[in-house]
Amino acid sequence: MKRIVMMITIVLAILVAGVALKASPTDDKQPPTAIALPSLPSNSSVKVEFDGSPATPRAVEDTTERAIVRDYSNAWSVMASALENNRADNIAAGFTGNAQERLAGRVREQQRAGLRTRYVDHGHKLQAVFYSPEGSAMQLHDTAKLEEQILDGDAVVSSRDITASYVVLMTVGEDRWKVRLLQELPSK
Amino acid sequence: MMRRIGKLCFMICVSCAIAVGQDLKAPDHAVAGAALKLETSGSGDATLYLLGPGSAIKRSVKLGEPVELKPEEVSGSGVYTAVLKSGGANVTRTFYVAPAAPSNLVFLARPSRVAVGQKDALSGVIFLFDANKNLSFAPADIHFELAVSGAAAAARSVAAHNGIAWTRFDSARREGAAQFVASLGETSVRRVVQLTASEPCNLRFRTAPAKDHNVVVETDPVRDCAGNPVPDGTIVTFIENDGKTRSTIDARIKRGVARAELPATPNATISAASGVVLGNEIRLGGGR
Repeated sequence: MKRIVMMITIVLAILVAGVALKASPTDDKQPPTAIALPSLPSNSSVKVEFDGSPATPRAVEDTTERAIVRDYSNAWSVMASALENNRADNIAAGFTGNAQERLAGRVREQQRAGLRTRYVDHGHKLQAVFYSPEGSAMQLHDTAKLEEQILDGDAVVSSRDITASYVVLMTVGEDRWKVRLLQELPSK
Repeated sequence: MMRRIGKLCFMICVSCAIAVGQDLKAPDHAVAGAALKLETSGSGDATLYLLGPGSAIKRSVKLGEPVELKPEEVSGSGVYTAVLKSGGANVTRTFYVAPAAPSNLVFLARPSRVAVGQKDALSGVIFLFDANKNLSFAPADIHFELAVSGAAAAARSVAAHNGIAWTRFDSARREGAAQFVASLGETSVRRVVQLTASEPCNLRFRTAPAKDHNVVVETDPVRDCAGNPVPDGTIVTFIENDGKTRSTIDARIKRGVARAELPATPNATISAASGVVLGNEIRLGGGR
């Protein structure tokens, strides 16, 4: 009796495994669906508080607000990683245009001088001040609380807690918003 | 014991003297893309670290002599951090490099194609940049102008705020390639916006006998309410209804007119429509 039960269990297990394998997304015959599209990285740990109420002339839509928070947070993660590890290969994931060139230039010069910059990010207060009428560009003001460390090799030559203000331009890219300009303003 | 304490005190005093002796002074007002000097004080050798937007510099300097920074080393507007390291003591200073006066305009004109006579249909946004691609906050009046051949141009000036100026225009009543220009002094940027005819207006058609008991239906030249010819390819739908059956043909406008053949069913009614616009009606084998 025990043997019969075991046999039935094994046969059922094989059947279930077969069905699962057939339905798996690695099947080349499956047509592409929206679910199969690559999902955007949203694993950034950088905290961003967003206020879209001052934006003119267009009101910021809920979906855009979520996208801006996700993509701005991601951009800071990308920048922090690039400046700490002196790697420019992932900059395009969060930056475009002049901001991308500037950041890549900074990484290049850090590499040349043997320097690194480490940011410990304590969060951003992001305010949309301009949202273009056709919805493809946004100007934002960011107040960021950061700990900035400058390292020569592994030796820390400067470590400061700062509250920095930035004016930011973000534009719609192929599948996300990207930072086109990140310009720090003098501290108040 | 006393000797050791004395030595320690001496070393602390020397360190303090070095720390107090070296200093770094940044300029009160620096502009992106303009050379600047950092003043140092003290004596001996030191290492200067300078990090800013797009730049990271490590340089040996002589204390007491100014450190000269080339225009390309401070081309980015933003806050720079300078660290002067000598012996065990570090001095950190920050300074702000402001953007220069605006000299480049980035112009977003949307959409690139729009129907005539639409309220606030066109938008133009200008971003003001200096020669080094920094967003410039200097006061500036941007002149926007929208002109299409054969019609009066619309123009207005808008003051830039936070490096941005924007406006909206109604689309002109005449179709064609509109020149949308934004200018600041001698600098101007031009975009072309294609103005197309709007919805058809006064859609009219006539009939004529054709072979095989058919009837040809053909519109007059299809125009919008401002008299602009509706673009070729626009669909005109002809509907024939004899009370029992209904025939529908979608005909594309070709060279300004839409044409189709329908069965010549006695006493059938033929009508035409394009988009939300209805045309006239013709009854076959009877009066109109």
